[in-house]
Amino acid sequence: MSVAGLRRKGGRGRHAARRAAPLGTLPALVLRTVRLQSRGVLIWGTALGLYSAAIVASYTTFSASAEQMNRLLEAYPQGMLEAFGITDLGDVENYMNSQVFLLAPLALAFFPILAAAGTIAGAEERGTMDVLLGNPIPRWQLVVGSFASIALSLLGILALMGALTQATAILMDVDLPLGSTIAAVLNVWPLCLLFGGVAMLCSAVFHRRALAIAIPASLLFAMYLLNTLGRISEDLENLQPVSAFYYHGSAIEDGIDWTNFWGLALVALALMLLAVLAFRRRDIYT
Amino acid sequence: MGTAIRTEGLTKVYGRKGRGIKDVDLEVNEGEVFGFLGPNGAGKTTTIRTLLGFMRPTGGRAEVFGLDIQRESVEVRARVGNLPGEFALEDKTTGEGLLRFFARMRGVGDLGYARELAGRFGADLHRPMRRLSRGNKQKIGLIQALFHRPPLLILDEPTGGLDPLVQEEFLDVVEETKAEGRTVFFSSHVLSEVERVCDRVGIIREGELVDVEPTHRLVDKAFRHVTLTFDEPVGGEPFAALPGVEGLKADGPKLSFTLHSEPDALVKLAARHRLVGLEYERPSLEEIFLTYYGKNGGER
Repeated sequence: MSVAGLRRKGGRGRHAARRAAPLGTLPALVLRTVRLQSRGVLIWGTALGLYSAAIVASYTTFSASAEQMNRLLEAYPQGMLEAFGITDLGDVENYMNSQVFLLAPLALAFFPILAAAGTIAGAEERGTMDVLLGNPIPRWQLVVGSFASIALSLLGILALMGALTQATAILMDVDLPLGSTIAAVLNVWPLCLLFGGVAMLCSAVFHRRALAIAIPASLLFAMYLLNTLGRISEDLENLQPVSAFYYHGSAIEDGIDWTNFWGLALVALALMLLAVLAFRRRDIYT
Repeated sequence: MGTAIRTEGLTKVYGRKGRGIKDVDLEVNEGEVFGFLGPNGAGKTTTIRTLLGFMRPTGGRAEVFGLDIQRESVEVRARVGNLPGEFALEDKTTGEGLLRFFARMRGVGDLGYARELAGRFGADLHRPMRRLSRGNKQKIGLIQALFHRPPLLILDEPTGGLDPLVQEEFLDVVEETKAEGRTVFFSSHVLSEVERVCDRVGIIREGELVDVEPTHRLVDKAFRHVTLTFDEPVGGEPFAALPGVEGLKADGPKLSFTLHSEPDALVKLAARHRLVGLEYERPSLEEIFLTYYGKNGGER
């Protein structure tokens, strides 16, 4: 059969190559990546969940002396207390926010950062990229599929964290509404995903996994510091909106600010799209 | 017969030293086994990775089954089974898991042929990759390239790390693939396997395709390393005077030299003495490259 005939029929007789529908490969890619990440989800979710559960449990011993603690804290500068989100330690939601949910993104953001850095630059360094892309997968699907699986795995970690927190609250008879716990853990999701987006972009642009980790990690700490110091220093207050943490808020106390929630998620999505564009144009190295 | 691979002035230059390939014009016919040969760093892998869309050409163009390698890369890869020269497989995955995933990617429902190949190669599909030796990973790599019966196989040094029995089995599979009318394009360093399965060979040197010829012509023109051991020292001069004899060294009753012509005159001369040992060895492909396609230009 001529080459033209081959193109028309999409294959050659009994040796015809079965071409998978491009969109059909995306769910398979997401499912496989989620499976590969499942162990990490379990470890991260359990670790953060146990930490959060320990803080909930500690509240039962702490709440009795909360009045005294609050009076003690009055001696501290107001700005410093605000910086660490402390307003009333007698309130379990404020206690949980200051002790867990302000810091959780700082740790959990490393999950999407590490996963996204491994998707492209890491796969190139490990040598797995050529075998994977030997299949009829468009490059954009590799980026989008991996990012979607990271987003799902992140939700899994947060669900586990929320479940362990809430279960401990029920067991220890702490009055922590389920809605508040859900809002608190869900609110961490877009913030962490944003740093995953930065890592995905770096992974697509650079060929080195170390850079794809170092850049978003530095940005993470810089933004956290800027937002925290911005609460204390009037000079830095104007710069706070530059930090993603500025839009995080305290969902456990005030509920989720959906504008900020979707705003952060959209920035993460935009970073992923930039990663798609960058990865489509460049050579793959091994 | 159609064309499986066609390149026109295909060029890929990268890195500070300007490595890559230059103006490669190549045509591989459907249904043939084509050996792509050259010393290390000559540009074999760059050519293959450019054909598969992993690297963007900096000049020229190429088609696989008439599909443009840049614009229609996904379509190209749907028709190709690829074994990279250097590769790794996800540590946590088993061969079975990997093949199931790739089967979904390619819309293949039946893993029967994959299991048949695993049986023939002696590959363990149930152990995670991190527990497999290099040779066993290579077997999984071969199976993932072959199991979907692609019209074109592109294999970069496919027998590296395989034991001789598995190499033989692999060469049988290549012959079966050819018998089914499918095309195989592979790079190799082993003259014996090239001679056994390849219809034609292309020689690449320093990024340029210097020759394409039937395999028998490459093999026929290859020289031989000869060592003759006699029962007593014999004069080396008559042997050195034979046509095609080069670099003769005499060590007591032993004569060693390179023979660039047919051995008839040599055998007749040696038969005048009592010969107690005879070694007649083929050169490696690297030696052939150096001799016939060496830096000092052109064919010998």
